[in-house]
Amino acid sequence: MAIFLFIIGATKDDGYGAYRPQKISFKIPKGWPKPSTDIFAKNKLTEQGFQLGKKLFYDTRLSIDSTISCASCHQPFAAFSSLDHDVSHGIGNQFTTRNAPALMNLAWMNSFHWDGAINHLEVQPLAPLTAPNEMGQTLEGILQFLREDEEYRKMFKAAYGDPNASSERMLKAMAQFTGSLVSANSKYDQVMNGKDTFSNFEKKGYIHYKTYCGSCHQEPLFTNNSFRNNGYSLNRRNDLGRMGITRSSTDSLKFKVPTLRNVQLSGPYMHDGSIFSVPQVVDFYINKINRAVPGLDSNLRKPIVLNKLQKNELVYFLYTLTDTSFTKSKRFGPDGPLQFKH
Amino acid sequence: MMIKIQKLLTSVIILLLSNVVFAQNNPAYVSIQFKHFANNQPLVLVDSAYTNSTGESFQPTRLKYYISNLQLLSNKTKPRRISSVHLIDAADPQNIYLDPYTVEYNQVSFVIGVDSALNCSGAQSGALDPVNGMFWTWNTGYIYFKLEGYSAASTNDLQKIEYHIGGYSGVFKANRKVILTLPEPLMIEASKSPKITIHVDLDKFWNSKNNISIASNALIMSPGALASAAADNLPAMFSIGNIE
Repeated sequence: MAIFLFIIGATKDDGYGAYRPQKISFKIPKGWPKPSTDIFAKNKLTEQGFQLGKKLFYDTRLSIDSTISCASCHQPFAAFSSLDHDVSHGIGNQFTTRNAPALMNLAWMNSFHWDGAINHLEVQPLAPLTAPNEMGQTLEGILQFLREDEEYRKMFKAAYGDPNASSERMLKAMAQFTGSLVSANSKYDQVMNGKDTFSNFEKKGYIHYKTYCGSCHQEPLFTNNSFRNNGYSLNRRNDLGRMGITRSSTDSLKFKVPTLRNVQLSGPYMHDGSIFSVPQVVDFYINKINRAVPGLDSNLRKPIVLNKLQKNELVYFLYTLTDTSFTKSKRFGPDGPLQFKH
Repeated sequence: MMIKIQKLLTSVIILLLSNVVFAQNNPAYVSIQFKHFANNQPLVLVDSAYTNSTGESFQPTRLKYYISNLQLLSNKTKPRRISSVHLIDAADPQNIYLDPYTVEYNQVSFVIGVDSALNCSGAQSGALDPVNGMFWTWNTGYIYFKLEGYSAASTNDLQKIEYHIGGYSGVFKANRKVILTLPEPLMIEASKSPKITIHVDLDKFWNSKNNISIASNALIMSPGALASAAADNLPAMFSIGNIE
């Protein structure tokens, strides 16, 4: 009798709607390598999971004082970096210690953050969510909020068959959103696909890029996701980069190579956001590398020789990596007005 | 719809009946319990003070650790491959139940810590849920062993002591295997469920292999040489207590 009642109960509607997740597929852009790990293998992509992750990404109520969401520092119009900010704002007039990386093509990465501290996309949000100088919440506090909010209950039911949030479900939904952020439709991509042509300036810039930048900022991702010392001196925060994680002195001042995609929109630059424009970054690599820094990457030992005209050509090429279909995407963008501090 | 329910009902009933038959033909389970001690007394968290090997007094408030791949070993048969994780909280240690796979056992074996692979597997649930407070958010990895409290010997803020031992890869990997030999072979008989108590002695944390003094190191908060040295002390904390 008890079994019969249980079966009847399982087919009854709990008021949060049906559980009919729609599978969606992750498209690899033409000509791109497959990611070395399938980040969705144990986190099946569904439209409901993606939408839940997106809502969480844009929700300031995940911070302790309801002022900061993921999108506050990862702004879609800045290729999901912090526009014009060297470091980002946290709660209570605090700041982070490093520049917010632009978020795109994360499915091809094996580690996250400038020092590679995070080894899996799903657990990355735990860092900003609980950091006292960022969103300042506790995991228990966030889960309690999600379990009590009617809209989230509906969305968790739609994505997971159960209205109650758990850390695993929340984090996996977020990864469905962030892992789906792919930028592969810039002018450069159109040229590579034979649908557009570079201007003469851009064409020459592409050659300079391949000569001097392409070993670390490798096509098509425009990063090889490795850790490199680019001759940037120890900053005032004494930030030793990767060494803080591995404790190995050979990792001193090594930071993760960022993508150059959308670089026009993701300034300021470097791990502490201390270089403000793309031309100034090019200047740094030509004139300002600290060659006394031990462990300077071997790719940078030979000086970069570009005259003023050639520098401009390189910058024009880098601007062809801007993908407005990504930064203005309705699918990736917020459903309402974007809330952020300023 | 009715036919589907009927089919489901039938298979559930068959499943239940076959479980009853199975249980009658097989021996009962083995339960394993972890009991914690300090200074030769049962460990009481929050309200008690104890002395460590350096003579420093401390009041522990939290003691939690991960046990992986807990199993019984037999000299008479090959061990089974097992993958399990349990979070033991000294404030509320839960029994762990093991299904016997043979009739005579000689050892209990487990690893203190979490398998490397599970440290890289993203968001997980159950014992590995980050909501348990045993996961580093700023440097991905599980905190294998957490001892927190207060001590007048600590030069830290609020005189806190915080030992968060972890590290899943490289030279400072903190996973440590423990094999405890039973005083005499444990024979499994049908319908009797033996209970093994594992005695956990906090005194051994301070100096069983390397010396930890609160005055020198009241905090260990990340993987590294210090955490690895502290991890070396952990296996000696465990011994076989009672077997009933």
